[in-house]
Amino acid sequence: MLTLREKRIRLVAYYFVLPAFAFFLLLNAYPLITVVWDSFQFKNMLNATQTGFAHLANYREVLSNEYFLTALRNTIIWTLLSVTGEYILGLSSAIALNQPIRGRTLFRGIIIIPWVVPIVIAGMTWTWMLAPDYGVINYWLIQLGVIDKPYYWLGEMNTALFTIVFVNIWRSFPFFTISLLAGLQTVSKEVMEAAAIDGAGIRVRFFYIVLPQLKTISLTLIFVHLIWTAINFDFIWIMTQGGPLYSSETLPIQIYRYAMEDYNFGNASALSSMMLGVMMTAFIMYYVINSRKSKN
Amino acid sequence: MLISKRKQWIVQSITYIVLIGFSFYCLFPFLWMVVTSLKPDNEIRTLTPSFLIQHPTIEHFINVLTGSSFLTFFKNSVYVSLVVTAASLIISIFAGYALSRFVRFRGVKLFGVAMLLSQMIPGVLLLIPLYLTMKELHLINTYNSLILAYTTFTVPLCTFMMKGFFDSIPIDMEESAEIDGCTRVGTIFRILLPVSLPSLVSTSMFGFLNSWNEFMFGFVFINDEQHRTLTPGIYLFKGLYQTDWGSMMASSVLSVLPVVIMFLFLQRFLVEGMTAGAVKG
Repeated sequence: MLTLREKRIRLVAYYFVLPAFAFFLLLNAYPLITVVWDSFQFKNMLNATQTGFAHLANYREVLSNEYFLTALRNTIIWTLLSVTGEYILGLSSAIALNQPIRGRTLFRGIIIIPWVVPIVIAGMTWTWMLAPDYGVINYWLIQLGVIDKPYYWLGEMNTALFTIVFVNIWRSFPFFTISLLAGLQTVSKEVMEAAAIDGAGIRVRFFYIVLPQLKTISLTLIFVHLIWTAINFDFIWIMTQGGPLYSSETLPIQIYRYAMEDYNFGNASALSSMMLGVMMTAFIMYYVINSRKSKN
Repeated sequence: MLISKRKQWIVQSITYIVLIGFSFYCLFPFLWMVVTSLKPDNEIRTLTPSFLIQHPTIEHFINVLTGSSFLTFFKNSVYVSLVVTAASLIISIFAGYALSRFVRFRGVKLFGVAMLLSQMIPGVLLLIPLYLTMKELHLINTYNSLILAYTTFTVPLCTFMMKGFFDSIPIDMEESAEIDGCTRVGTIFRILLPVSLPSLVSTSMFGFLNSWNEFMFGFVFINDEQHRTLTPGIYLFKGLYQTDWGSMMASSVLSVLPVVIMFLFLQRFLVEGMTAGAVKG
């Protein structure tokens, strides 16, 4: 039984979370349910004759789209490559920033800057630098003798996706840097010194003391970024709109096309629901594993 | 001493090389953006681009400021971002406080999970229902559509950041305030917020950055020039100035500069805030 005082406090607590919860219900939960609901309805703004319950027609249509598998493959490549690159760059820059050297704050400030830039501007600037005719990157690569004539990085089917991955890593790795740096700073100096006295070299100390301490932060970062990257729409849309010939189209781009180009909200919702299903499963698994671990 | 003098010297040199490399990688696109925006057209369209500007010019800036809707977009972005920042801050102060102090109540705990979950819900999946909802509410082409959407997506992380800060403040301070007859809200505003000023700064910056940089909703919800925000505005410039990279880069400089300057002054708070709230929490 709660005391009167506790009851009063509980009421206060509920009032405090109410505004945030209202936003959640109205603009997260409700639309989420609508997505799932719509995925089983015929809902095509261009062909309004067909309405009502659609069973699995939308799902069938989405799955049989000739570019579905391409988009799925691209999404996986895009996500895995991006996050791997971000982690490697983030970890190495964090380790470098954690050394006792002069000008740390300056370097830190510079390294975080890409993350502050709007994706649109990052995308445009890189598009400009990568331009085949007047772009500086092609010019330099030719000067260095890496390639012998300008290459249209974003316009060729075999490089478009990788080029956007590269730019995405540029923009997103600073987030890893900050977080991993914070993790590195919690590694205790005494333990490191004790290990050194016991004869552990730099490599041993890194793999057996530092990395294990970064494990939690790393897993959280990687998990969150896998999701954030998989669902990213802006970068690809801005740089190639999924082209050329669908070679950089990912699932979010396909959702956007269904919705805003074909006005087929049924199909768009079906694809959304599938992505949502995968992500929810991943999230629940992650949550369960995490809470089981913290219980141990 | 963890390592010998000579080894230490080597490690330090490597560190500097790595950091200089990273700095170049991170800064180069900006420098190139600035350089391009200051070049006359004939230097931009050259097959041998270089960092040196023979005849610096501000014609692109003048062009962007007087010959386009850039200023309208800029003003819209400032307005939307400020409102979103203020709204998210107020909402997440209370929500964060509740998550920090009252998690023993089942409702609050449930709320915490809901917030966590909502961070996992991608915007693009909600695009259609949100678009339809906004349409039904006649909010398409209004600032309110963006403010509502951005606030929703900003509140969860801000809440976790605030929770992180409140967690680090000892509860005794509040108890003595309560004994002195301070109400709960009074305690938050008089006792807790003054000590967590840095966290308020970092949380607001986060909210501001989030809405300043957002693209997709601005692109989809707004299709009239009067209400368009900066990021979709600049994207649509691309079509307008098909080949005018000078003006493109000038408008990019103008929209990145305020954020970068603000960021350089406040980066310490942001770094602390992100690490305290987002990762550890």
